[in-house]
Amino acid sequence: MIYSDIALDAVFFAVIADLFILRTQMITRGIYWLTYGLIFPFQLLTNWWLTSRKIVQYSPSEIMGRRLAGAPIEDLLFGFSMILLTLALWEFFLRRSRKTGTEEVA
Amino acid sequence: MNHLSYLAVIAFISLCAFGVNLGFRLRILRRWRELLLTQLAIVVIYLTWDTWAIAHKHWFFDTHQIMNFDLLPKVPIEELLFFIVVPLTVILSYQALLKLTGWRQDGESQ
Repeated sequence: MIYSDIALDAVFFAVIADLFILRTQMITRGIYWLTYGLIFPFQLLTNWWLTSRKIVQYSPSEIMGRRLAGAPIEDLLFGFSMILLTLALWEFFLRRSRKTGTEEVA
Repeated sequence: MNHLSYLAVIAFISLCAFGVNLGFRLRILRRWRELLLTQLAIVVIYLTWDTWAIAHKHWFFDTHQIMNFDLLPKVPIEELLFFIVVPLTVILSYQALLKLTGWRQDGESQ
């Protein structure tokens, strides 16, 4: 169940980065969860495409075995971490530009 | 056309990204520096994980359904494209929803 452990660590890392390193506090904002809610069904669709056609396969020894839309549930942790880290970085870099006086985003 | 199976899903996601950017007039490339930095960080982090996981056989790909152009050892080029296109779509969706809801971009500057 190595994938399970790393996927959980990835979520943990993304949350720490969001709250304490980048200080973007995305997970406390409604807009983050709204965006996540919009992306989520598309992740399931992508997972279903990739796994039902066996484009990607997972070693049974590395996962817990529970699946959603064909993919190991660990994939949801991976997806959550990547969406959170992406938006935290995006907000971080935008905020940094604003402080240094680059023009505002419309 | 079997070897384009993985690429097909990437094309679909790209189409969504393109549509959202045009449909909501986001003109995301005006923030190309921030976009580049964000995308670069995500690609480095997740492609490192991916390369390591593939080397340790956590997951593997059907060589009949990918283009078989390996970027890093055993890492299909589709994986790189995935880590570029998905975060881009996430950012565009976020910007589109901000525009749609009228909510503030920056929690601190209110």
